[in-house]
Amino acid sequence: MSRVAMLIDESICMGCRGCQVACKQWNDLPGEETYNWGTYENPPDLSPVTWTRIKFTEVEQDGNLQWLFLTEGCLHCGTPACVEVCPTGALKQDPTLGIVTLEPDLCNGCGYCTQFCPFGIPRLDADVLSVEGKAYKCNFCQDRVVNGLPPACVKTCPSGAFDFGDREEMVAKGRSRVERLKQQGFPNANLYGEHEMGGLGRLYVLKERPSLCGLPENPQYPVLADAWQEVLQPLGTLAFGAAALGMLGFWFVARRNIGMEDVE
Amino acid sequence: MIGDRTTRMEEQGEGGVIRVRWIPKYTAMERVFHWGHTVTFLALAMTGMILFFPLLRPLAQGEGGYLVRLLHRAMAIAYGTLPLIYIILEPRRAIMSLKSVFKVSRYDIEWIKGMIPYYMFGRHEAMAPQDRFNTGEKLNAVVIILGSVVFAITGLLMWFGKGVLPIGAFQAMVVLHDIAMIVTVCMFIVHFFLAVVHPLMWAGLVSMRFGVTSAAYAQEHHALWYYGPERAEEIYEDKKAVRKAEDQSSVD
Repeated sequence: MSRVAMLIDESICMGCRGCQVACKQWNDLPGEETYNWGTYENPPDLSPVTWTRIKFTEVEQDGNLQWLFLTEGCLHCGTPACVEVCPTGALKQDPTLGIVTLEPDLCNGCGYCTQFCPFGIPRLDADVLSVEGKAYKCNFCQDRVVNGLPPACVKTCPSGAFDFGDREEMVAKGRSRVERLKQQGFPNANLYGEHEMGGLGRLYVLKERPSLCGLPENPQYPVLADAWQEVLQPLGTLAFGAAALGMLGFWFVARRNIGMEDVE
Repeated sequence: MIGDRTTRMEEQGEGGVIRVRWIPKYTAMERVFHWGHTVTFLALAMTGMILFFPLLRPLAQGEGGYLVRLLHRAMAIAYGTLPLIYIILEPRRAIMSLKSVFKVSRYDIEWIKGMIPYYMFGRHEAMAPQDRFNTGEKLNAVVIILGSVVFAITGLLMWFGKGVLPIGAFQAMVVLHDIAMIVTVCMFIVHFFLAVVHPLMWAGLVSMRFGVTSAAYAQEHHALWYYGPERAEEIYEDKKAVRKAEDQSSVD
């Protein structure tokens, strides 16, 4: 199997939130109390028990109202910063499928992933004082995908906005879909995730610019994650080694040159 | 010759037993503080490195990881409050020590110049007169004090600022915390070597354990503290003159 992806055509999505329910059902996540805060969007944010959610954005353009939907959730980056900064190895990138999974048994709740994700996706359930708790995010229904089934959200979508399969194929489908949308009078239509962050495992067909829909226009790999893991860590190891070896060498030289009879 | 035994304060007692005159150097409180800080520093370094080195990953995972993170925080509280408690208990002495630690004089430059000949080759005459803390100890103290300030600020922000701080700022805190760790741990390795392992400095460990140092050791290693600035300067100049003369005669 090669790298997989889901393609979400937000121009087809009707905002039914079936994906939210299917995600909770398959992953055995409890519901959250919702409230009316002036939008159909609920729960108000992703959380340790809400791994996917539709964001509703109302945009007024030239007197016309556009209601934009965005199915939020882990974007399964090709170059995931969370995996690099995770000190436990709980976050992994599947070498063949390319999906980014989080193994709760290994997680110690440090929360670095929540602070280095360029999309701000993982949610931490850890208590500040007892420090116990873990991070959670969408696992791309790893258990379903490795057994040849589509993720729960894809399976359940009644409007056909979700597609799932080989990533190359999904990119091609997304491109042709964007062309159609452009012909239909959406000049800003675009495919999000083809190249961002090493290519995303969650591709979006958007009617408008990503920033209007609630996505970062040009997500960047956090420089400090590399500075930390690729520079500071080897440098620190080297420094400790150099200090210890230097002192050992120092001791051998000093021992030969310093007569203990001179020492009071 | 300079450093000849006859110039020392030790006296041959009955039956040739050397009588050592011990003089107080560190108070009990200072020593408790020093060793408390050492223990918490090591505990913090060990628990912190579990998240730093990929090799120690198994210790960071799951429930064990909770314990590591909890211990790191508990130790951090002790590490941070110890100096504050010490300052409250011995405010005048704490301020005196702080002042002497941050005071830089030309002797410090000369100590750094004479460091290699002295510590590596046992050239005693290369040693510039030192205060109660020598330049190396002062350097260690400055690095640890400034490092601890960085640790405290970045650590508290990472502990309580997660989700409040902008993520870029949080990332910077992680990196700064690690830089402080690398610098202070390297400093610790050097300090451990010079204060515990190095043969010339045996008395350093003794004085940090029992609070006293021999007068002879103080004369040689802490002349500025033992004699006061004027007398120490005189002795140092004499030493330098003799060394110059010796060098001259060896050239001739």
